[in-house]
Amino acid sequence: MRQILKQALLVFMTVALPTILWAQVPVAGTITDASGNAIPGASIKLRNSNLGTSSDVNGKFSLTVPGSGGTLEISAISFKTQSIQVSSSNATLSIKMSEDVGRLDEVIVTGLATSVKRRNLANAVATISNKELTGGAPAQTLDAAMNGKVTGAYINANSGAPGGGISIKLRGVTSVFGNTQPLFVVDGVFVDNTATPAGLNTVTAAARGGNASNQDNPSSRIADLRPEDIENIEILKGASAAAIYGSKAAAGVVLITTKRGKAGQTKVSFAQDLGFVKVRKLLGSRIWTADRAEALGGSNAARRAAIRQEFLDAQAAGKIYDYEKELYGETGFTRNSSLSVSGGGEKTSFYFSASQKDEEGIVKRTGYRNSSLRLNLDHRLNDNIKIGISANYINSSADRSLTNNDNNSVTLGVALSSTPNFTELHPDALGNYPRNAFSASNPIETRDLVTNNEAVDRFVTGINVDAILQKSGKSTTRFIGRGGIDFYSLKTTALFPNSLQFQQVVQGTNVQGFTRSLNANYILSLVNNFTPSEDLSFTTSAGITQEQGDYNNLLNVATKTVANQTSVDQASALTATQLRNKYQDNGIFVQEEVGLIDAITLTAGVRFDKSTNNGDANKYYAYPKAGLSWNLTNMSFWKGDFFNNLKIRAAYGQAGNFPAFGSKFTTMNIFNIDGTIGLLVSTLRGSPNIAPERTSELEAGIDFSVLNSRLNFEISVYEKRIKDFLLQRPTPGSTGFSNEWVNAGNIRNRGLEISVNAQPVSNKDVRWNTTVNFWLNRSRVTRLDIVPVVLGAFGNTLSTFMIEEGKTATQIVGIDGANGVVKLGDSEPRFQMNWFNEVTFLKNFSLRWLFHWKHKGDVINLSQLLTDLGSTTPDYDDLDKDGNAKGPARIAQVGTSARHFVQDAGYLRLREVALYYTFGKLPINFVKNLRVGVSANNYFTSTKYVNYDPEVSNFGTGFSTGVDVMPFPASKRATFHVLVDF
Amino acid sequence: MKKQFIVHIYCLLAGMVLLFSCKKEIGSLNGSTIEDLLANASKPQLNNVVTGTESGMRNLMDFYLDDVGMIGREMYRFAGSEPRYTTDLLGGGTAVLDNNTFYLTNPWNGRYRVVKNCNILIQAATNSSLITAEERKGYLGFAKTIKAYQLLLNLNLTYTNGVRLEVNDPDNLGPVVGHPESLTAIANMLDEAKTDLTGSTIAYTLSAGFEGFKTAAGLIQFNRALAARVAVYRQQWAATLTALNESFFDLNGAFSKGVFHVYSTGPNDQLNLTFFPQNSNGEVRLAHPSFATDLIPGDDRIAKATLRTSAASLDNLTSNRDVWVYTSSTAPMPIIRNEELILIYAEAKINLTQLPDAIVALNRIRAGHNLTVYAGAVTQAALTTEMLFQRRYSLFFEGHRWVDMRRYNRLNQLPLDRAGDDVWDKFPLPFTEN
Repeated sequence: MRQILKQALLVFMTVALPTILWAQVPVAGTITDASGNAIPGASIKLRNSNLGTSSDVNGKFSLTVPGSGGTLEISAISFKTQSIQVSSSNATLSIKMSEDVGRLDEVIVTGLATSVKRRNLANAVATISNKELTGGAPAQTLDAAMNGKVTGAYINANSGAPGGGISIKLRGVTSVFGNTQPLFVVDGVFVDNTATPAGLNTVTAAARGGNASNQDNPSSRIADLRPEDIENIEILKGASAAAIYGSKAAAGVVLITTKRGKAGQTKVSFAQDLGFVKVRKLLGSRIWTADRAEALGGSNAARRAAIRQEFLDAQAAGKIYDYEKELYGETGFTRNSSLSVSGGGEKTSFYFSASQKDEEGIVKRTGYRNSSLRLNLDHRLNDNIKIGISANYINSSADRSLTNNDNNSVTLGVALSSTPNFTELHPDALGNYPRNAFSASNPIETRDLVTNNEAVDRFVTGINVDAILQKSGKSTTRFIGRGGIDFYSLKTTALFPNSLQFQQVVQGTNVQGFTRSLNANYILSLVNNFTPSEDLSFTTSAGITQEQGDYNNLLNVATKTVANQTSVDQASALTATQLRNKYQDNGIFVQEEVGLIDAITLTAGVRFDKSTNNGDANKYYAYPKAGLSWNLTNMSFWKGDFFNNLKIRAAYGQAGNFPAFGSKFTTMNIFNIDGTIGLLVSTLRGSPNIAPERTSELEAGIDFSVLNSRLNFEISVYEKRIKDFLLQRPTPGSTGFSNEWVNAGNIRNRGLEISVNAQPVSNKDVRWNTTVNFWLNRSRVTRLDIVPVVLGAFGNTLSTFMIEEGKTATQIVGIDGANGVVKLGDSEPRFQMNWFNEVTFLKNFSLRWLFHWKHKGDVINLSQLLTDLGSTTPDYDDLDKDGNAKGPARIAQVGTSARHFVQDAGYLRLREVALYYTFGKLPINFVKNLRVGVSANNYFTSTKYVNYDPEVSNFGTGFSTGVDVMPFPASKRATFHVLVDF
Repeated sequence: MKKQFIVHIYCLLAGMVLLFSCKKEIGSLNGSTIEDLLANASKPQLNNVVTGTESGMRNLMDFYLDDVGMIGREMYRFAGSEPRYTTDLLGGGTAVLDNNTFYLTNPWNGRYRVVKNCNILIQAATNSSLITAEERKGYLGFAKTIKAYQLLLNLNLTYTNGVRLEVNDPDNLGPVVGHPESLTAIANMLDEAKTDLTGSTIAYTLSAGFEGFKTAAGLIQFNRALAARVAVYRQQWAATLTALNESFFDLNGAFSKGVFHVYSTGPNDQLNLTFFPQNSNGEVRLAHPSFATDLIPGDDRIAKATLRTSAASLDNLTSNRDVWVYTSSTAPMPIIRNEELILIYAEAKINLTQLPDAIVALNRIRAGHNLTVYAGAVTQAALTTEMLFQRRYSLFFEGHRWVDMRRYNRLNQLPLDRAGDDVWDKFPLPFTEN
């Protein structure tokens, strides 16, 4: 198959040989901003060609234009685009760019191979520039760096464990059991974001109790990418914008473009960050007295006396500890270095970067390390053919310790929840850890001896071919081919030495997972631009796509291990499990965009998709899309100058969400006994007729700019409907199955997004840009063909999610005394807002800050339940308004009402604040630029939520985010930055 | 120029068509499917299903024993991270049994999963043309015996709320059938299985847990032992004795003779999850304090609840004895054994008012546990109390006490540890069955 692809490419390249050039005009110029400062890195492009260059550090550029001249388009990030006619008589240019506060001239990718300026866009597309991503207070990983920056997104960190693990939901609930996370595309390569569990469940048995879902707290693989390499991120939030990605786009698409070299002087940049990370908040613990200690003994007199004595002895010896602080209170040192070199000549340009990040966690023996190499190469074969290659190697390693829910009392938090501070957990002089009399494990011992590591080697490489096949005065036809592979091998290591308190039965456990994931995709398309007149343009594109995935996870569980040995063969019992996924999706698309007098843009397209994951692997499903934007201020009838820009827009699109691999099969599982192999039917019943979900989205909006474009508004409303959503519904247990796949019903999301950006102050000394975004989403299950389904938590007694017709998809229900099972809350935030600011002052200072406010949105807090049951909650003895001690009062509610588990997890958070200083005059001339800065990440949070952090998810990135069971506590970061350009 | 352009387009389209002409269907990569088995299963395939059935019977049995053990006030299950053992199961405060919580859904679904496997085995063996008629009978007899046993365990939980008997077609389940009718159906199923096993050939190998019962004759004995248990549940005392006679009942035989679940650390095998080391903390199973106080001094069954170095407490419950019935993670768990059969014999004789025979059996139990002969009143009532007392200790934490007390309407005699606690007589029907 690849062979055919190669040959096909070869055919195009040979037949599409360049047209001969007859004459040429050398053009040169300088690009400056309004106050005359040079703009480096501006893009200069000859319209209807692949010719172009960029300005150097001094804003200068030169370009040879074939023929007698043409139109140059000059663009630079955050400046308005200009078009200039050049000819031999107008070959030396001095171009002044004006600032684009509303980013109206930003170019947005609208098709697989086409783009349009934001000014004419029919959708509200969120973008994050490199400056917003890394220029403030950088987060540990890419996914965390996006948090709070995307209008319309609900981004939630699963825990504070090093290495990330973040759920991103765009515009509400896209799916319940299908993929809820957006598709990530890096330079045309679809990258895998699977979270692979490390098999900790073998030890924690978390899935044996109330919920069989995975609770291993794995990281998301998108965290591997380096934010420093990213030029910008576009977020296509729903089907209306993303439909051209078809079946993968239902939950939105995150398009990541990495930095590329530009013609001109070679630029070397080096950035070094040094900093520290600390726990965001500690909860404290119950204050113990002899009487309280004694009460732990229950009704047994001897036990009561023994515990009382233990407390008195500890008190007398001054050995009352703060175990929470010992576990979570470490200060982790962080460093991050990155070196990039970019440059190029007329034909070839490159961007190279090498970077390494090494961070310790807030728990001893945890941390995150990421090393990355990237080479992006662009080469122009001739005036018509351009090839871009990107290659990225990543090595990352995360030590995440043992946290989250478990049913064996072995994770740090669960063990700590029932361990009073007066019992001794520290090793004795011989290094032996005492057995914890209050739990099945000694958390200090667990921290010191357990290893839970995820190590990744990843290679992402892509190729981009852009060939002009035909060119005339009015029409240009290009072939655009993009594709690539994303390969990684992930090794998870979970070591539980046999000396651990909780390893007495199995005598040591060694769980090693080996995952190999290969994703490949390509898009081949033809794009024709036809411009019959200045006022009319057509862009026609058509093409085919294919995506393949091959995921293979082998998990070895060895028990009865040899002390200090880490290989799985150093054990007396070994069990292996293997999980394989494989799919191939194929698509065909056509799209037409019509531009009228630079004011009206009409888009229509359709995509046909099939997938091997569908019940019928050969059936094509069609996903149409259409959009209209009308820029009224560009119309000739428009009078008045109050509005600098006024656009109304509407877009509609459909996308699918294919079923998970294997959902059409009912398989038999291996269940042996006494050395004989056996087959037992799986608990999950397949559905041979399983069909994809279909998401359709209608979006409308109005964008306008006033006050000389210094105040810009973007207002959107949308309705997103998911038809035949996929559900693993519980079957009657008597069927022999626990769950089955069904296309269960419909969900509707409606939402509002408002974005305001302004430049309140702009003078020689101070420039202040500010952006406020507001967004909200409301969901409703509009049709449900089956009885209401409880899912995603631990049942009604402890409150849970429930999919029920006529209710929100994110409602939380639970028992409530005589009322029975009622709605107790909703995990959907009432609304979210962010406020991003950048102030440059005294010429060389810049200050940036970002606030993020999530208003309401509930979390099921079961951590508090566990500390209550362990009698260790800090407020256990405080009196409530009825005069009862709070801890026992809450426990008395268990089994009667679940209301107190459902807690408001709204927050106002200063996600980032950063101050940078740029040195003006430098004594050494080979240093072109030197900047220093300090930043703080997540340093301030105001929330009513009582546990470690309102951002939490015991179940990782799926549907049911917002269940709190003893997570890895969240952290805050402070960093010092130095950046040097040579 | 134009012509050349058209040529380009054709080349591209031709390329696309070439790329698209390959069709693909990726099969199941993670195990064989039910359809593979139902088509025309070979003997090894059928044997795999037999083994899977035996293996699967052990799944989630720890939850079953905890349920019956806690409500029957035999023991406490403390879990640091799971409050509902001590709240819901004991009816602490105002807590009640929930119809959608792990303590019910786990064992219930676990048993029906095995029922499903038995139904697959029945269907696969019926469809197979690669086995003899005698071999087929061997598969059917095993499948029906196990199916009946699994249904009985679920019926023990839901009692008068009933179980579903017809579950072969997941899209068209049979009705929920009440307690006496279900017991009758289970008894009939066992009889049918006995008919199948008679004259059958056993083409499969069972685990060491079936040692001595791996032949057709042995499986019939096992089947009849279960039939005897069902007969006492149905108070059909004469039928009980008939079944006992065809079982491995041996009044003077070893108490431990019988059929067991066995465990190992082998790949994809299971460990006995009811085992916790003595003196564990956090995750523990403790004998109910009344176990030791009610026991007659000298009874060797005290070894089933060993004294801890320090008592464990949770939620105002305390005990200083560990449950020590399963003494390692690979200790076998009885399905049915001779000690129970002797007690079933005694029970049948008491109810048939053949009291001397009953006393002989009860004294056999007493002597076996280092006790003197029965010296109490020789009345039906007194002997019934004695029989239940012996069952309590002989079958401790084997899943009987709660069921026994319910059979004799004596749930109100079970001790309550905390004000507001309740003794439930049955679990609700699981949420998903409604």
